[in-house]
Amino acid sequence: MAESPTKVPRWRKILVPYLYLLPFMALFLAFRVIPLFYGLELSLTNARLGRTSSQFVGLGNFTRLPDDKRFVLSLVNTFTFALEATAPVLGVPLLLAVLLNRGMALKNLMRSFFFFPYTLSAATLGLIWAWLFDPLVGPLNYYLKLIGITPPNWLGNPVSAMPSVVLTTVWWVTGFYLVLFLAALQDVPVHLYEAAAIDGASAWQSFWRITLPLLQRTFLFVLVIHLIGAFQVFAHIHVLTQGGPADATRPIVQHIYETAFLNRFELGSAAAMSWVLFLIIVAFSVLQFRFLRER
Amino acid sequence: MQSIPSPKAVRRSDLVSATIRRALHWLSNTLLFLFSLLWLAPAVWALVTSFKVPENLFQPVPKWIPWPMTMMHYAEVFRSTRGTSIGTALVNSAIVSLSSIVLVLAVSAAAAYPLARMQFPGRNLVFACLVGSLMVPGIISVVPLYLVMHRLHWLNSYQALILPDAASAFGVFMLRQFFLSLPIELEDAARIDGANSWQILTQVLLPLSQPALVALAIFTFQGAWNDYAWPLIVMTKQRMMTLPIALAYLRFDYTSAFYGKIMAGAVVSAIPLLILFIVANRRIVEGVQFSGLKG
Repeated sequence: MAESPTKVPRWRKILVPYLYLLPFMALFLAFRVIPLFYGLELSLTNARLGRTSSQFVGLGNFTRLPDDKRFVLSLVNTFTFALEATAPVLGVPLLLAVLLNRGMALKNLMRSFFFFPYTLSAATLGLIWAWLFDPLVGPLNYYLKLIGITPPNWLGNPVSAMPSVVLTTVWWVTGFYLVLFLAALQDVPVHLYEAAAIDGASAWQSFWRITLPLLQRTFLFVLVIHLIGAFQVFAHIHVLTQGGPADATRPIVQHIYETAFLNRFELGSAAAMSWVLFLIIVAFSVLQFRFLRER
Repeated sequence: MQSIPSPKAVRRSDLVSATIRRALHWLSNTLLFLFSLLWLAPAVWALVTSFKVPENLFQPVPKWIPWPMTMMHYAEVFRSTRGTSIGTALVNSAIVSLSSIVLVLAVSAAAAYPLARMQFPGRNLVFACLVGSLMVPGIISVVPLYLVMHRLHWLNSYQALILPDAASAFGVFMLRQFFLSLPIELEDAARIDGANSWQILTQVLLPLSQPALVALAIFTFQGAWNDYAWPLIVMTKQRMMTLPIALAYLRFDYTSAFYGKIMAGAVVSAIPLLILFIVANRRIVEGVQFSGLKG
């Protein structure tokens, strides 16, 4: 901090910074902090949409959650999505990043191609893939039949619906993680590979002994981002399947949304579910924060 | 027991293996390039479909050239026929996204400045709250925030979408980090010349921060333009819907006979970010690398 040439009164030294902070702090308080505590209060009441009064019900909303079959199913679906998506969502970008990092011509162009889907909205993504998956007239089924594969009923079958959702997710987010992995790979000193090559290491050995250990931190970090995002998955699934068929792809956020605003209008109950989800995510966020501090 | 190969034999086998390796390298690069083109195929298919005349929408063999070509789906998308008019939604999305950019940049820059450059009591506390809030997922406050908007009579209003996003902890964090990376000497010189803090922020810091401001503007635009869950909840009247919501309703309301129109809508919604992506590719990639820190 530079010394100011003129003497500034102490009250101004305090007031001026807070004047700059004021717009942000006002918005932050009104739309982030207050709703957070308001939500906690709501979760302890039987508040309903369209009813002005509500009573304190203690932890009733929380203790009743296990009886809500659709809540439990949505929670299971969310975990299923997070788990099923983990390997492809991390593996595909990692593989592509390693391949692209071998000093290829057109590397930046190809990175752009892979990144492009990430710029699409969940709605656009859903519309495009619903069309590709169309069992009657979609092109995907045509090409699969061409190479002798009997196509699944994609979004139409409770068994294949979630894997289909995962497939669209991989297409959507690969570019994002690819950019992160590529950045990390570029930080790996080239002389390590050169030294390994001189010692007679194969490309495969270099990958396992040099690349992966040095990518470990990025890899764990990306895993945490992925999981935090996966627990909040909603938008593209909503456009693709609206949670169907037979609730097979219905995530927890959709259950919260419908409980509050579509079916039951039980705001207290929905607020309680939000807090349960929040606590699950916090567990993973704490991990993320620890990685950040280690950097 | 393996015999020791003569020097000549070594050289020849080295030569052969080098050739094989180069051929393999070339082959895998070509395959990778083809794969990156294939990665774009779903988006290209959407584009092609949007130009097809209705009789050609459903052909037994997928046709990748939309001939004869028509603009009728685009015309239909912008005309209010049944359901939501995409034209209105486009205007709504533009208003919300552009206002968000202006507000987020102004509010974030003002708040980041004292956090980066001033000493004042409470600074560390404010910064800790800010970083802490980065870990609080938005879902936790959706239900209470809806009630806040309800009390303010702001449901189905632009500010319901714009103002909550304006308190961007990520924006403040990003700009603060960027300000810290700038040399302080210029500001000292300006202060000696008699500039006040406002002049230093607007005439010294902000012009130097263009890369960070552009990246933040792009991310804000992407977030607002593509947002799904929150607009779905607060924008229930058709004339107030944003583009992703209007597109989702196209999918919910129409059968496969309308794929031309639906794909035209998807293309329209993808174009602004596609243009941004082509123009500011490097900024976006650098920004994503930075946002990897945010998660």
